[in-house]
Amino acid sequence: MLKGLHVDGHASLSTSVDVQFNTFIGAVATGCELPGISGVSIHGYGAYIPIFRIKASEIARVWGLSDSELPVLEKAVNSLDEDTVTIAAEAAGYALARAGIDPGRIGAVYVGSESHPYAVKPTGTIVADVLGVNSRLLSADLEFACKAGTEAMQLVTGLVASRMIDYGLAIGADTAQGRPRDALEYTAAAGGVAVVIGRSGDGAIADFEFASSYVSDTPDFWRRSHERYPMHGSRFTGAPAYFHHIISAVKMVQDEGYSLGDFDYFVFHQPNTKFPYAVAKMLGVPAKKVESGVVCNVIGNTYAASSMMGLAKVLDQAKPGERILMASYGSGAGSDVFVFRVKEGVLEKRGLAPLVSELIERRKYIDYSLYLKARGKIRE
Amino acid sequence: MHSIFRPPINWRHRRFRYRLVVWRCLNCGAVHHNATKICRRCRSNRLAEDQLPSRARLLTYTVVKNPPVAFERQAPYIVGVVEFEDGTRLLTGITDCEPEELKPGMELERVVRRLTEDGESGLIVYGYRFRPVLKKR
Amino acid sequence: MPMRRVFIAGASLLKVDEYWGDTIDSMVTEVVDGLGETRPWRIDSIYVANAVGEVLQGQANLGALVAENLGLAGVPSLRVEAGGASGAAALLTGYQAILSGLANTVLVVGVEKLSDATPEEAVMMPTLSERYDYVGFQGATEASIAAMMYRIYLEKFELPQEMVAQFPVIMHEHASKSPHAQYQFKTTLENVLSSPVVSPPLRRLETTSPADGAAAVLLCSSDTLSKLPHERAVELVGAASSTDFIFPFEREDPLRLTAAARAFNEALAKSGLSKEDIKILEIHDSYSIIASLILESIGYSAPGSSGVDAKNGAYDHGGKVVVNTFGGLKARGHPLGATGVYQAAEIFLQLTEKAGPCQVDGAKVGGMISLSGLGSSAYTLVMREV
Repeated sequence: MLKGLHVDGHASLSTSVDVQFNTFIGAVATGCELPGISGVSIHGYGAYIPIFRIKASEIARVWGLSDSELPVLEKAVNSLDEDTVTIAAEAAGYALARAGIDPGRIGAVYVGSESHPYAVKPTGTIVADVLGVNSRLLSADLEFACKAGTEAMQLVTGLVASRMIDYGLAIGADTAQGRPRDALEYTAAAGGVAVVIGRSGDGAIADFEFASSYVSDTPDFWRRSHERYPMHGSRFTGAPAYFHHIISAVKMVQDEGYSLGDFDYFVFHQPNTKFPYAVAKMLGVPAKKVESGVVCNVIGNTYAASSMMGLAKVLDQAKPGERILMASYGSGAGSDVFVFRVKEGVLEKRGLAPLVSELIERRKYIDYSLYLKARGKIRE
Repeated sequence: MHSIFRPPINWRHRRFRYRLVVWRCLNCGAVHHNATKICRRCRSNRLAEDQLPSRARLLTYTVVKNPPVAFERQAPYIVGVVEFEDGTRLLTGITDCEPEELKPGMELERVVRRLTEDGESGLIVYGYRFRPVLKKR
Repeated sequence: MPMRRVFIAGASLLKVDEYWGDTIDSMVTEVVDGLGETRPWRIDSIYVANAVGEVLQGQANLGALVAENLGLAGVPSLRVEAGGASGAAALLTGYQAILSGLANTVLVVGVEKLSDATPEEAVMMPTLSERYDYVGFQGATEASIAAMMYRIYLEKFELPQEMVAQFPVIMHEHASKSPHAQYQFKTTLENVLSSPVVSPPLRRLETTSPADGAAAVLLCSSDTLSKLPHERAVELVGAASSTDFIFPFEREDPLRLTAAARAFNEALAKSGLSKEDIKILEIHDSYSIIASLILESIGYSAPGSSGVDAKNGAYDHGGKVVVNTFGGLKARGHPLGATGVYQAAEIFLQLTEKAGPCQVDGAKVGGMISLSGLGSSAYTLVMREV
């Protein structure tokens, strides 16, 4: 448990945010160290999805497979001039536009991805320079399979809570690779989401109420150095991996005194369309509280951006006062879990950058041969 | 090594290539891509840093079907000339669209893209391109 | 003191071709050999025109290299580079050296070997004349910028493409009789307009292709000319150059080649001749549209009307001026740095009545206009029979 992320002493109990938070979990918190986070909010969020799509049925056609029961309908494909850097930068630009803050006030840029363009040379510094962020900056690239983006959120949240920085950018972006004919080829997609995290206050989009993480050494998916494509454990990626970690992470939320009925939206990592609904069913969460955040069916699994894309889509439609539970999943394995309370700021800010639905609508279909070209898979 | 892959060259041009940071003549308004002490239009020595807006209008365009070194894999691709509100003209790659979608006068917006790379082991070159506006203001 | 005069005492050129077995060195010695017996001449200076030798052959310092190869080590020799106008720039430099009185005899050699380039490098070579840190990193090519000039030209004057695309047809017609031309076949408007698109609207037959070539001319003062044996000479009566913004769309009017206009008018003024005196004109038709823009910019045709004029025969035999009598860049070929020297050599052949089947009868004055890039610098030389 990331107890280190919690509030800076009792002073903050006097703020209205803390009172509200304390009221909610009062029974648990009374007389002991205050759990979770307070005084930290999302001030801006931005998503970016490349314009190209390939239908799963087109991929199935190439391999002579039936197009029934494919894991998604279609997935987003980056063009030849896009990679994790450009996707991260575009998403972060939108997050800054919504936050309405000068890029010079950003004190940290963390980019989580499994497809950083360089093995050694940070994505974060390029993104920062593209955005015009001050060089007095904390920056690093993170890797934790599909939860690298939410890991970035954890770090930035901690830095803001500790007052080391005023605002930070947490970005999850990927141009995920699936080996031709592998099951991952249908889902491994491209996209990115960024959030600007800062101290709570006017204009906040959502307050962090709680954050934690659950990890274990579970080898369900990996990519060795110098390899182009990942390996995975097929069905082993299910019960002991995705489901165990997300359910364990959600249980930590319940342990803090929340009941699942307290949440209006559940956002889970979405490696395919089936898993987020399946984990909801196991948890006893109604499907309608999950579907607002499901984007995997039409853009595929955007890896480090996957659960964050669901969060962005929920923020595109949530009302102030509503509560969101988000649980990412990264192979190898772990789940970051967050509790958000939506604030008034969302109403004025969501229109300042493209909505996820607008990004989904902006699309051009390509066939398998153009997909190979766009992904640089045609090799001399 | 092709000049566009040289790290110092990419480094020194990065603010122009990423954000269209330019040097503007305070006398005649002319824009310079590189830091300079003399305006190339009026020879004034009063220049200051400025940034071109993120949107501009398309003046004209074409398609590169016979690419030069370092752009072989991307062909065909669109290049065009955009014009900013102040009249400044800029040559740019145009992305995320087909030539048929382009009409002179239409609004385009700046994005940063991966322009080329020095094989599998060398530098990756990033810089501006323009594309049709994603979200109307 | 009377003004010094400058003459072309001899000219030589190789067929524009692909010389797989040859080097820059061997092409230079071959073409200079074509000048005939030059040993009686005391050469004061050598100017070597070359655009991309250090890129494709990895060879710089062509001045010393050429002097040594010609057995002229000891003679001052330097390379002149001005992109596609390198040859004309070397000629202007030689002209100035003689006018100044510091030299009496100057050898100008243009040489370029583009056949060593891969197709992508061949596209890159002319593009090196654009601002490379600006145009090059976007993947734009010189041809693509020319294509955009072409597009706005057709739109502005509401012209069908054939008005511009007929220029290559004329060039191939002229080259069909030229033994040193790269492409000695005739073509038709239909062929041009159905050739592959390079950058719309520009088609392949409206551009040039990579070629090797070498040409040489011998410049001298009147003193030298009177003392030494020669057959017929030509007088270089005017020469000038000018520059412009490199990127055409940053010029006040992208369709007006002001550098070309200034160079042409100034050279003509120096010559004391009028435009009407010029009966043969070698122009830098690196792209069909550039032929149109040159003729309109230097005042032979009104803006937008070079196509109509060409259609009416204005630029062919019997017209007001015969353009590119050996096929021009399009069909004689465009070995970048050597091209300007080819133009001068061709005018020499015309004015000394050695042009064979390409001869323009009664030609007494000839002009040439050479460009680097898409008009970022321009050179004009005006020559008169002696």
